[in-house]
Amino acid sequence: MLLELNNVEVVYSDVILVLKGVSLSVEAGQIVALLGANGAGKTTTLKAISGLLRSEDGKVTGGSIRFQGVPIHAEEPQNLVRRGLVQVIEGRRILPHMTVEQNLLVGGKVQKGRVERRQMLDKVYGYFPKLVNLRARVSGYLSGGEQQMLVIGRALMAGPRLILLDEPSLGLAPMTVTEIFELVERLRRQEGIAFLVVEQNANVALAVADHGYVMENGRIVLYGTGPELRENEDIKEFYMGMSISGHGKSFKDVKHYKRRKRWLG
Amino acid sequence: MLSLLSYVANGALTGLLYALIAMSFVIIYRSARVFNFAQGEIVIVGAFLVWTFMSAFDLPVWVSVPLALLSSLLLGVLIERLILRPLVGEELFAFVMVTIGLLIFIRGVVLVAWGPEVRFFPAVLPMAAVKVGPLVFDRALVIGAAVTLVVAAAASWFFNRTQLGLEMTAVAEDHQIALSLGISVKRSIAVAWGISGLLSTLAAIIFLNGKGMTFLASDIGFAALPVALLAGLESIGGVVLGGLIVGIAVGLAAYFLDPIFHGGVAAVFPFVIMVVILLIRPTGLFGWKTIERI
Repeated sequence: MLLELNNVEVVYSDVILVLKGVSLSVEAGQIVALLGANGAGKTTTLKAISGLLRSEDGKVTGGSIRFQGVPIHAEEPQNLVRRGLVQVIEGRRILPHMTVEQNLLVGGKVQKGRVERRQMLDKVYGYFPKLVNLRARVSGYLSGGEQQMLVIGRALMAGPRLILLDEPSLGLAPMTVTEIFELVERLRRQEGIAFLVVEQNANVALAVADHGYVMENGRIVLYGTGPELRENEDIKEFYMGMSISGHGKSFKDVKHYKRRKRWLG
Repeated sequence: MLSLLSYVANGALTGLLYALIAMSFVIIYRSARVFNFAQGEIVIVGAFLVWTFMSAFDLPVWVSVPLALLSSLLLGVLIERLILRPLVGEELFAFVMVTIGLLIFIRGVVLVAWGPEVRFFPAVLPMAAVKVGPLVFDRALVIGAAVTLVVAAAASWFFNRTQLGLEMTAVAEDHQIALSLGISVKRSIAVAWGISGLLSTLAAIIFLNGKGMTFLASDIGFAALPVALLAGLESIGGVVLGGLIVGIAVGLAAYFLDPIFHGGVAAVFPFVIMVVILLIRPTGLFGWKTIERI
C-alpha cells in the first residue's frame, strides 16, 4: 500500500475538530478521487498527509497516516517531498514573480544535482509542451490553465510517487479541465505516479479515478470504484445535479433533498 | 558649476553606500517578510568587532576583517535562531515590536561592552583622496560604490540563477508553497540573516573607514531606510537605483536648499523622499505588487 490513512483525526487551533476519523488508501499507480461539499474536510485531509497542516496551526490528534508503510504524521514536509509525496495546493499557487522555468527549477529542489534537475525539466517540458515557449515568462501573467499545468509540472519536478492534487478544475474552462485530467491519466500510465485528487467536479474526476471516497462533515461517508460511484444515485443527485429520471434538478431541489436525507441514514 | 557636480557625484557615492545597507534590509525582508529595524545596530556591532580585532587585539587587517565578517554572519544567524524563529506564525506586529526591542537591546549591549567614548575606526581602506579631473572623492566611498555594485550583481545572480537563491526567492514569494516543494523555510531565513549580517559589517568598514565613531553611528541604518523603501523591499537591483536617486537628491538638496535654510535640509531630505514614496507608491519603484491578470 502506497498511502494508508486509518481513523485520522485533525484538530485546528487545539479546539476545532475537522476530521473525525478518516480512513482511506491509495495503491501505487492509482488515481483516487476524494469528493465532497465545501467544508467537508477534503483539503484538510490532503494537508494532514503532506504535513502542511502544522503551518496552519492544525494537528493530527488521532489515527495513523502511513506512506510506503512508514508512519508520517509527525514528518516535516521537506522529508516527505524527498520521499516522493508532493502536494499541489489548491488555487493554482504559482510563484507569481518568478518565471515559468524558475518555478519548475524550485520544484526540483529535492533532485540530487544540477544534471538530474535538468533531465527532470526536459521530462516535464515533454509532458507540458506549452510551457516550453513560456519558460521565460513571469508566471503571474499566465492564463489559468497554463498556471494549473505549471503547478502540476512543478510537483512533477520532485520525481514523486504520489501527488496530492487539490481541485485542479477550480475556475477553469471545461476543455482545459479535460486536458488536465487526460494528463493526470497519462502521468499515471507512463510514470506510474499515483494521484489523490480532491474535486468538486465529480464527473470528470470519476471518469479517470480507479476508486473514490465521498466526504461529509469530516468523515468518509461513501466509497466505491469510479464506475460504481458514477452510477450511484446519491452522487448523481448531489454532484451532477441529475434526478433518477435523468432530468436536471435545480439547486433548490437538491438542497431540499439533502436536508431530508443524510448519507448513510 | 564645478561644486554642483561635486555635490551630485559625492551624493551618488554616498547613495550607493546606503544601497549596500538597504540591501541587508531587503535580503531579510525577501525571505522572512520581516523588516529589521535593528539593522543599523548590526552595522555598528560589525564596526566595533573590526575595531576590537584590529585596535584592541592588534590583529592584522587580513585576519581582523574576515573574522569580523564571520562574526557578524554568525550574529545574524543567532538573532534569527534565538529571537525571530520562536515567533514564526505570529502577527506582523509582534515582529515589528521585537526588532525594535532588538534595536534597544543591541544599543545597550554596545554601550556596556564598548562604552560611549569616541573610538577611532582603523583605516582598513586607503585614506588618500581620489582625484578625477577637478573632482575630489573619499577613496573609501569610491571603493564602497564598487563593492555595492559587485555585491548587487552577485546577489542578483544568486537569487535568479542558483538553486539555493531560487529557493530563497520562492520562500520570499510564499512560505507555504516553498514548504510544499520540500524547501526548508527556516534554513532559508537563517541564510538570509547571515548574509545580511555580513553585508552590514562590509558597509560599516566603508562608512567608518578611518573616522571616529560612537554607538550613535548606527543611525546609518535609518538613513538607508528611504533607499530600501524607494526601491521596493524585494528588489536587489532596485536598491542600487534607489541609492543613486536618494544620494543624488540629497546632494542637490545640500547644494540648493542648505544655503537657503542655513543647513540641515540635506540630512532630512531622504526622509522627505520616504514619506512621499509611501504616499504615492507604497510598494516602491520595483517592489512586488500583487499581479492581477488582465
